[in-house]
Amino acid sequence: MKHSICMVSDFFYPNIGGVESHIYQLSQCLIERGHKVIVVTHAYGNRSGIRYLSNGLKVYYLPIQPVYNQCILPTVFTTLPVIRNILLRESINIVHGHSAFSALALESIFHARTMNVKAVFTDHSLFGFADLSSILTNKILKFSLAGVNHAICVSHTCKENTVLRGKIDPSDVSVIPNAVDASVFTPTSTERDPEKITIVVMSRLVYRKGADLLASVIPEICSRHSDVQFIIGGDGPKRLAIEEVREHFQLHDRIRLLGTVGHSAVRQVLVRGDIFLNTSLTEAFCIAIVEAASCGLQVVSTSVGGIPEVLPPDMIQLAEPSATSLVESLDKAIAKRRNCQLLSPDGAHDWVRKTYTWQNVAERTEIVYDKISAATEVTLADRLHRYNKCGLVAGKIFIFIAALNYLLLILCNWISPVQNIDLAIDCRKLRRLKTGGVNLEQSS
Amino acid sequence: MAMSCDRSRKKWQKVLYKDQGVSDNYVDESFLEEMKKNLHIRTYEFWAVVRESNVVMQQIYSVWIFVAVYFHMRNFVLTPQFLFEMSSAVTIVGYIVNFVILHENALTKSRWKDGKTMGIFLILGFSLSPILMTLTKTISTDTIYAMTFFMLLANLLFHDYGTDAAIVSQAFSLNAAIFASICLASRLPTTWHAFSLVTFAFELFALWPILRRNLKIILSFLLGSVVTVSVATVSSVAVVVFLLLHLFITILCPAWLIRLQPYKNNIHGPWDEAVIKQ
Repeated sequence: MKHSICMVSDFFYPNIGGVESHIYQLSQCLIERGHKVIVVTHAYGNRSGIRYLSNGLKVYYLPIQPVYNQCILPTVFTTLPVIRNILLRESINIVHGHSAFSALALESIFHARTMNVKAVFTDHSLFGFADLSSILTNKILKFSLAGVNHAICVSHTCKENTVLRGKIDPSDVSVIPNAVDASVFTPTSTERDPEKITIVVMSRLVYRKGADLLASVIPEICSRHSDVQFIIGGDGPKRLAIEEVREHFQLHDRIRLLGTVGHSAVRQVLVRGDIFLNTSLTEAFCIAIVEAASCGLQVVSTSVGGIPEVLPPDMIQLAEPSATSLVESLDKAIAKRRNCQLLSPDGAHDWVRKTYTWQNVAERTEIVYDKISAATEVTLADRLHRYNKCGLVAGKIFIFIAALNYLLLILCNWISPVQNIDLAIDCRKLRRLKTGGVNLEQSS
Repeated sequence: MAMSCDRSRKKWQKVLYKDQGVSDNYVDESFLEEMKKNLHIRTYEFWAVVRESNVVMQQIYSVWIFVAVYFHMRNFVLTPQFLFEMSSAVTIVGYIVNFVILHENALTKSRWKDGKTMGIFLILGFSLSPILMTLTKTISTDTIYAMTFFMLLANLLFHDYGTDAAIVSQAFSLNAAIFASICLASRLPTTWHAFSLVTFAFELFALWPILRRNLKIILSFLLGSVVTVSVATVSSVAVVVFLLLHLFITILCPAWLIRLQPYKNNIHGPWDEAVIKQ
């Protein structure tokens, strides 16, 4: 069954990042499978209006500027008219929101459910429970997930976290991992220095990514092994700590700090290494280690979040989040490299190429879409019941908001009736025309 | 036959790279196995909590004493000279006690510095007190009392009671108290009144907490009775409110805290941000 899907998020091209490339790649693969996909996001500077990306992927850059953390101001009701218009114009039957940080995604899902359009939500990150910001965010997530038809998480740990935060039934959550474009991350042996063992680090130098651990591991490893060198890509507030370590231990020729590395240049840096080091303190999936494995590097990483689920034991050395444990694991990896006991770069690349593909992700996502399309409609009363379960006081507030949104929808239907809204041209039909398949008169 | 089927079915593994023949929304028995609840809870003992609630009461005593002193001065029961002399004497005694308790070496330099600070403050305070008095003179008395109430409430809320919470801001708390004293000082007849009230406020809200922290002796009963007596002479309604407040904070709040402990629900698991182990 072919669907019309609307991907919504605050994070999309021209921003580069994990969620952004996830949405783009997934959309492309779904288009390959014959579905219609559009993307809705906010304006980026002057970039506002409708743009087309490859394969007819239509992107709506809504004329709303981001205010904080690349997200729009959450107003709940003001996005209703424009989202309703888009969903009707494009005859959307599934809305797919990405990232719990994105206010636009959560609001669009809410409006979609008010209009009885099926909704899916993908969660890309892990959250705590104890501090004030987490408590508020989790309440908002409970609200969003109470209305959604199905949720997707990128790892099993992420699923457990989402189920606990959102208080939803675990069988309503599917685990579909991220993927990597293996044709971009290919190994090559020519860039590597054969005399030395190169350890590559590619992450933002912030506390969350374990920059402090990195700073304590580097001098220890450098003193134990004289032929090891570090290449560190990425920038951030903790860069100073790494530079201080370099100064203090006189390791100028053994540590190279590259600063921010553009997305297109990441592969060039990765193929210079033998070992990839990841010291994050929390990760839902960690696409960086899969990219590194695809380039043929052996991975050494802290065993946090969803990382233990991603790579098999012969491709990754896991360590506790402490300097001593990381040093031990790095020692093991270096020893294996010296004795040539590591998986060959081409072998690793082939494994990643077969295991983590976007086509596989699209196939599994399609199963989710088919399942929710076949599910029965939920009445307004049922929805309000579900919102009520979110909490003693919060439940009543959510019911009020949901009911008000429904009334506003009726108002919108009265002001701008459904019959008067023009349907947009379907790009799939245009493509078929281009390939010379269909007669023009038959294309309506 | 059923047994051989079970043996051939492998145990479900929590990995993403294997196709384990189950649907994506499969929920295994090991779901949420690694979740741990309430790892680091502390058990509270009622009388220990009551003793600790004393810290909050001490600051509340300061606030009530301050307000009682203001009312006494306004009713001309207390003269500014008496207040200034008494508070200075108590401050000097307190300073010596603090000195002795901390077992500081007789660093004459730091004593000289403290003496200089005190001198500068007194001179500045005295010369600026006409301004201090007229700062808020044009505002109506009701507004003044309302502002004072909120400022003293802010003083109580943001005071450093010894915990490491984000809401604590010693500077803000002190500023609120001094602003409250300036508000009240404008209602008094002469600059001498204003000066002595503001000096008293400084000693009470800035210096007394330092000594209190180092003393660690429960002066509660003594202080509590002082407060009760001074407030009673101003208004009988106020003293009843004070005693009820005292009961609430010292007895009811600890009981409430202990009653809520069984409902604690701290969730820990592999999704938590890792704490770097040394």
